[in-house]
Amino acid sequence: MNSFAAISSDASPSNVSPDVAPPLAARQLSLSYGRGSARRTVIDALDLELPAGQVTAIVGPNGCGKSTLLASLASLARLHVPDRGAVLLDGHDIQRLPAREMAQRLALLPQETLAPEGLTVAELIRFGRQPHQSLFKQWSRDDRRVVDEALAAADLHELADRPLDAMSGGQRQRAWIAMAIAQQTPLLLLDEPTSALDLGHQLEVFELIRDLAAAGKTLAMVVHDLVSACRFADYLVAMLDGRIVAAGRPSDVVTTALVRDLYGVECTLMQDPATGSPLLTNIRSARHSRG
Amino acid sequence: MNRPDAGVTPPPGSWRLSWALGERDYSILIERRACFVCLGLLAALLAVSLLSLCLGTLTLSPREALAGVFGYGDPVSAFVVQELRLVRLAAGVATGAAFSLSGCLMQTLARNRLATPGIVGIDNGATAFAVASVVGLGTSLAPPPMALAGAATATAITFALANDVGTRGYRFIVTGIGVGAVFGALTQLLMARVAIDTANAAYPWTVGSLNARDGAALVWLWCGLAIGLVVACYLSRAMRILRFSDAVAQGLGYRVRACRYTALVVSVALAALAVAVAGPVGLVGLIGPEIARQLSSHRGVSLIASALSGAIVMVAADLVGRLLLAPIEVPVGIVTAIVGAPFLLWILLRPAPRFQS
Repeated sequence: MNSFAAISSDASPSNVSPDVAPPLAARQLSLSYGRGSARRTVIDALDLELPAGQVTAIVGPNGCGKSTLLASLASLARLHVPDRGAVLLDGHDIQRLPAREMAQRLALLPQETLAPEGLTVAELIRFGRQPHQSLFKQWSRDDRRVVDEALAAADLHELADRPLDAMSGGQRQRAWIAMAIAQQTPLLLLDEPTSALDLGHQLEVFELIRDLAAAGKTLAMVVHDLVSACRFADYLVAMLDGRIVAAGRPSDVVTTALVRDLYGVECTLMQDPATGSPLLTNIRSARHSRG
Repeated sequence: MNRPDAGVTPPPGSWRLSWALGERDYSILIERRACFVCLGLLAALLAVSLLSLCLGTLTLSPREALAGVFGYGDPVSAFVVQELRLVRLAAGVATGAAFSLSGCLMQTLARNRLATPGIVGIDNGATAFAVASVVGLGTSLAPPPMALAGAATATAITFALANDVGTRGYRFIVTGIGVGAVFGALTQLLMARVAIDTANAAYPWTVGSLNARDGAALVWLWCGLAIGLVVACYLSRAMRILRFSDAVAQGLGYRVRACRYTALVVSVALAALAVAVAGPVGLVGLIGPEIARQLSSHRGVSLIASALSGAIVMVAADLVGRLLLAPIEVPVGIVTAIVGAPFLLWILLRPAPRFQS
């Protein structure tokens, strides 16, 4: 899709030198829920740097804290202050950044995306311009151009006036990503962007994510399916019990031992003959193979 | 002038007003539909108001009524219009607009159409305190500040017990209904414990009536309404975003909690000041926003349209109450309850819109 050349983004080019501060990083981040004896640590002294201009996938079993980590990275921790540590955006503590400035630098696609009834695709995407607008600056030439570009980027021009509730899951998810594109942020975080979608719609969304990385954005996503994560991410972060147990290129990181640790299953690893990314085959429960 | 933002095509269905000040360009978008709806409602409000000035024990022609408003014409009709009907009309318009705006704000911040101050017991809290003030229990404060204190108390108790900031709508509503019931009982207890004459004086408060209301409370209400409308306009952009989930609103750069608290304070204060004038006619807070919502598009939250619809409902209900069994007057609270109760059922039984939690 050559329309991506037109995406305007403040993102730095993908070949940044390694000594530049990472766009988004967590330093010794700890977070817990509940009070008193019901207190439960969800994230435990975690360090993470998102590589600039790449797609990072965060994987792990249910309840390992991956969605909480993404929410903290997106400063939703404003609703839930970390116990210790900090999340740094270009080296600045996000707890101290004004909400509006955050929204100009980092966009988030939450897992739960309910929209008001009847809202159309174009109307949704226009909401993405909010961080750049104000009470007396409600619609500028930039707003108009960026909304058009976001529509083109997500390949939604024909569907612009369609209500969201009358669209397929994949189209709807692309519309939400287009809203995030309209925010023109160098960073985009997505919480399980494909979990409710069938294979074809998953592919639509992953390809859009790859295109955005190619256009210079830094992305991070929580993904349930390890194989898709390996296939579409440049950098894989595996979490267990609030800690990172492995991080690196998918082909370097994914081993049968890691899969056993994360999900308690045995498998045979293969290489996808077409793309070279790791494939999991012959998956069976660890208990069974031991016996 | 060669400004970059001059003549930008607005989104469909909107007008774009733009101006330049020094080096900077400013623009606001006005939704056409919202504009027409508000103008239509304003016309309807003027019509109902005129009707309410004309009709009653002494029926006047529109010309006589208008002459009376400006002090011309027949002294008797001028007296009736100026001393009786105009004050009552001002009270009807202000209480209706306040209840309805208050309801619309609370529905939006709680993301639930049942979450209005009338339903969640805030009206009852305000009533109990206002009645306490009237029957002279322990305090010499006038009804408006007492109603404010009562509404704030009811809200604080509801929030403390529901343990959330209106994010999980139903918990908040159910707790509010309980708290409201307690305050309702408290009002009844106060009425039962005082002399019959004092109880009679406080009675209109418990059912909701626009009859012979205290002028000072009305001044409080109009001031509160003026401030409330300005804040509502300022909040209208945030209110549109609050219809999404908190995560989305936060991601778009809104300070979700701050917006919600501001809206809550305005909503509670408006409900309290309106109760101080007319008693708990809280169903207007349910009916007004619903009418506005049916007329408006899905794009925005129709705060101004809600205020106007509420005013129309209140003035019309009061007019019906005055004429229905004339010369006996049916309190406006009873009229709105007769209309409002089936309406409430309809809301409960209708399939819920998707954005409700």
